[in-house]
Amino acid sequence: MKTNATDMPDQNTALALKAARKKREARSRIYKHIFLLLVSVIMLYPLAWLFAASLKPENEIFNSIGLWPSEFKWDNYTEGWNALPLSFTVFYKNSTIVTLLSVIGNLLSCSFAAYAFARLRFTGKNLFFGLMMMTLMIPYHVVLIPQYVLFLKLGWVDTYLPLIVPRFLASDAFFIFLMVQFFRQLPRELDEAAMIDGCSPYKIFWVIILPLSLPAMGTAAIFSLIWVWEDFLAPLIYLNDIQSYTVPLALRLFLDQEGQSAYGQMFAMSVLSLVPVIIFFAAFQKLIVRGIATSGMK
Amino acid sequence: MKRFLRRNAAGYVFLTPWFLGFFLLALGPILASLYLSFTRYDMIGAPRWDGLGNYEYMFTRDRRFWKALTVTFSYVALAVPARLIMALGVAMLLDKGLRSISFYRAIFYLPSLLGASIAIAILWRQLFELDGVVNDVLALFGIQGAAWISNPDTSLYTLVVLAMWQFGSPMLIFLAGLRGIPKDLYEAAEIDGTSKRRQFFRITMPLLAPVIFFNLVLQTIEAFKTFSSAFIISDGTGAPADSLLFYTVFLFNEAFKFFRMGYASALAWVLLLIIGFFTAITFLTSKYWVHYENERD
Amino acid sequence: MAGLTLRNVGKSYGKVTVMSDLNLDIHDGEFLVLVGPSGCGKSTLLRMIAGLEEITDGTVQIGERVVNDLNASKRDLSMVFQSYALYPHMSVRKNLAFGLQNMKMSKVEIARRVDEAAQILQIEELMDRKPRQLSGGQKQRVAIGRSIVREPSLFLFDEPLSNLDAELRVQMRVELASLYNKLGTTMIYVTHDQVEAMTMASRIVVLRKGKIEQVGTPQELYTRPENLFVAGFIGSPKINMFSAKAVPNAGGATLDLADFPAFDVAGLQAAQEDVTVCVRPEAFTLGGGEIRTTGTILLVEYLGSEALLHTQTKSGATSLLQTSGQHDYAKGQEIEFGFGPADLHVFGADGNRIEITQTEGGA
Repeated sequence: MKTNATDMPDQNTALALKAARKKREARSRIYKHIFLLLVSVIMLYPLAWLFAASLKPENEIFNSIGLWPSEFKWDNYTEGWNALPLSFTVFYKNSTIVTLLSVIGNLLSCSFAAYAFARLRFTGKNLFFGLMMMTLMIPYHVVLIPQYVLFLKLGWVDTYLPLIVPRFLASDAFFIFLMVQFFRQLPRELDEAAMIDGCSPYKIFWVIILPLSLPAMGTAAIFSLIWVWEDFLAPLIYLNDIQSYTVPLALRLFLDQEGQSAYGQMFAMSVLSLVPVIIFFAAFQKLIVRGIATSGMK
Repeated sequence: MKRFLRRNAAGYVFLTPWFLGFFLLALGPILASLYLSFTRYDMIGAPRWDGLGNYEYMFTRDRRFWKALTVTFSYVALAVPARLIMALGVAMLLDKGLRSISFYRAIFYLPSLLGASIAIAILWRQLFELDGVVNDVLALFGIQGAAWISNPDTSLYTLVVLAMWQFGSPMLIFLAGLRGIPKDLYEAAEIDGTSKRRQFFRITMPLLAPVIFFNLVLQTIEAFKTFSSAFIISDGTGAPADSLLFYTVFLFNEAFKFFRMGYASALAWVLLLIIGFFTAITFLTSKYWVHYENERD
Repeated sequence: MAGLTLRNVGKSYGKVTVMSDLNLDIHDGEFLVLVGPSGCGKSTLLRMIAGLEEITDGTVQIGERVVNDLNASKRDLSMVFQSYALYPHMSVRKNLAFGLQNMKMSKVEIARRVDEAAQILQIEELMDRKPRQLSGGQKQRVAIGRSIVREPSLFLFDEPLSNLDAELRVQMRVELASLYNKLGTTMIYVTHDQVEAMTMASRIVVLRKGKIEQVGTPQELYTRPENLFVAGFIGSPKINMFSAKAVPNAGGATLDLADFPAFDVAGLQAAQEDVTVCVRPEAFTLGGGEIRTTGTILLVEYLGSEALLHTQTKSGATSLLQTSGQHDYAKGQEIEFGFGPADLHVFGADGNRIEITQTEGGA
């Protein structure tokens, strides 16, 4: 037992040490924020520049790092919309059709497969699961040529079928994997209780698993929406007629016309093509982040 | 038989779309392209058997093949570590109790979502032109700019920068991994007087190794697959002077510009083997440097 | 209502056999508890009866029907899970009604049964809530409710109380017992907790490593454990085990325990030399008993009405004594204690009980 007299200084130094540590921590937090803000500015600057350039008169776009245009040239948007042989209305309509059907296809076929892998017992399951995981690694370029030959023989080139049908056949294993990870987190006893309550495996899927997996379905829907929207290679190969072009293909047309120096319009249409992605990202940020964390991918 | 069906039917029913997709769109095409790789095929006539002709030409006479390999490997070797180091660094900054984490996380992740789009590729082209913004910024610091994209010596770096700009997705995975490290380990180390540096190498790194490994495999494969941005920035050809001749761009041109489908199939198979090789190497060596906390899930 | 017959039941996963040749008759209307340490196969057995696990060998018969190839829902049984497994996206009412709707039962009948179950379990005011809005005990009631609305001929319980805190567990135990009294339906109940088993069961099945060690009423298991495992598993505090030498003599055998004087047990049919002698902690008498020894108290656990004395005897072995809590005992205190020949259980080297043919004879 110490006396009060000897106790006091100890306490004071302890308090002082604590205060000093607090101060040090606060300072390091400020440095951290400054650094992170700096990185944020660098990250966002190209996007901001793109947006600014889409509103600038042609002669201001280059040789200026400033973002504020001397006059806002909204014409870039209206003129850009009709700058190509066909109006962007057509391209957006095309992209929307392809994207919506692809998303539906992805969700249905991948959730079926994921349910089988995560919940059902059947002979050869581990083998098939391994094969499925291997297809995650296979680059699209490897299957591109035979797929092209196949779709050509089927007379599907210059239609949307080569873009949409594969998505109804669970061709993107990433989504299967994402959903398997999610389904496995649902308690298996729910399925068993439902079995005793008289549900078939089919009914369990629709009545128990799907309603409880809305977050995973949402994540998959958003990812697949964004990727299909941005998809370039498959449309490039399968769509030759400008009537059927999707937005990314149309954007590329601007590059082919470069001589005409329509940079403002090209940037305006580029910005518009990113808008759906950014809107979905802003609205569903939480889902996207959680999706990446559970799948550990992309 | 009846019992077999009763036990398995549901699984196979749910897997039917995947089975169709796997056999028609993955396994079938892979085998078909193996066959085609031994032929000459221009899509007009039938494929003509050519034995190892394509491979012989590829390895002994086609300079562009070697160029494409060099470009792609250089890109992978530069872009993957750059992106991962960036991702890990920022993830560690974000992990330590910042309240505004979701704000930064959103900003840093956005480029990963946009990066694959044609709009960004078009933007990137303009940023690094002689009269582009990058040079304007450099001029502020008194640095003489250059035509980064039209110069074959520097063009690849613009794509490496683009890859770094998209560090967001591995960052999110690192963040999730860092969250999984129990905080009391650091507290225990703190009490033992372990330095921050030592904490990083003795606690963070070993426990994060599975995540690093996972990101490494994934990002390497992603890097090998890079296509759209290289295609747009190089005008679809691999220019300038083939310095952006990514393997995928090369393959695409052989197939869909010159219609040398047989040769392109051989290229596809070599790509498959390369990626298979890298995946296998990382998996086989992982047991020496990856420490899994739970061997089971 | 129905009884249950298991014949040569076996279970293997691939090449690993976890259970083989298990035979058991469960009588109509009894409360049968399957008990054993974790990994003993009790849950597997229950799940095989339920139809959630494939039956690899043998037959399971509910009433007159062999149910091996019958879907779970066709076996006329219901099950309460350890995690309750309430459907999170359905209200309590929907949870109760779900199985009945699947049976295509009329709306009126469903409403009648659901309301009746709600009344029995006193969950009427919870009917429109979602499971996440319920406390553990309420979830438990709903889970039970979901199983009784089916009016099955067989109830299965898989460790239903192990997620509850101690107080609630005791309360639910009583409620389950009174539910059983009311319904009189056959119930099969899995637990690792031998207190639960002893208090609720009409008969207990002790399982270990996929084998039945003993079947009997709680009293039979307690007073006549058939082997060393059951003796050690049933009863709390745990039984005392002493190794001993048995020397046959005219009327039975002489037992030599290291810390106690040797004594004769008439009628003990010991054909082997090395045996284990077990004495329950409450069978010891302080300062009394025919066969006595002395020891030093190592630890006193005071439980209120009684006290547990951990005592070390001269060989270094420890004995556990249960005695009245009315007296004070201190660590280090020397005590004398003993037991009578009728209080002991003797087991051979193979772990099986050695019978004492005549209970009394005079030593």
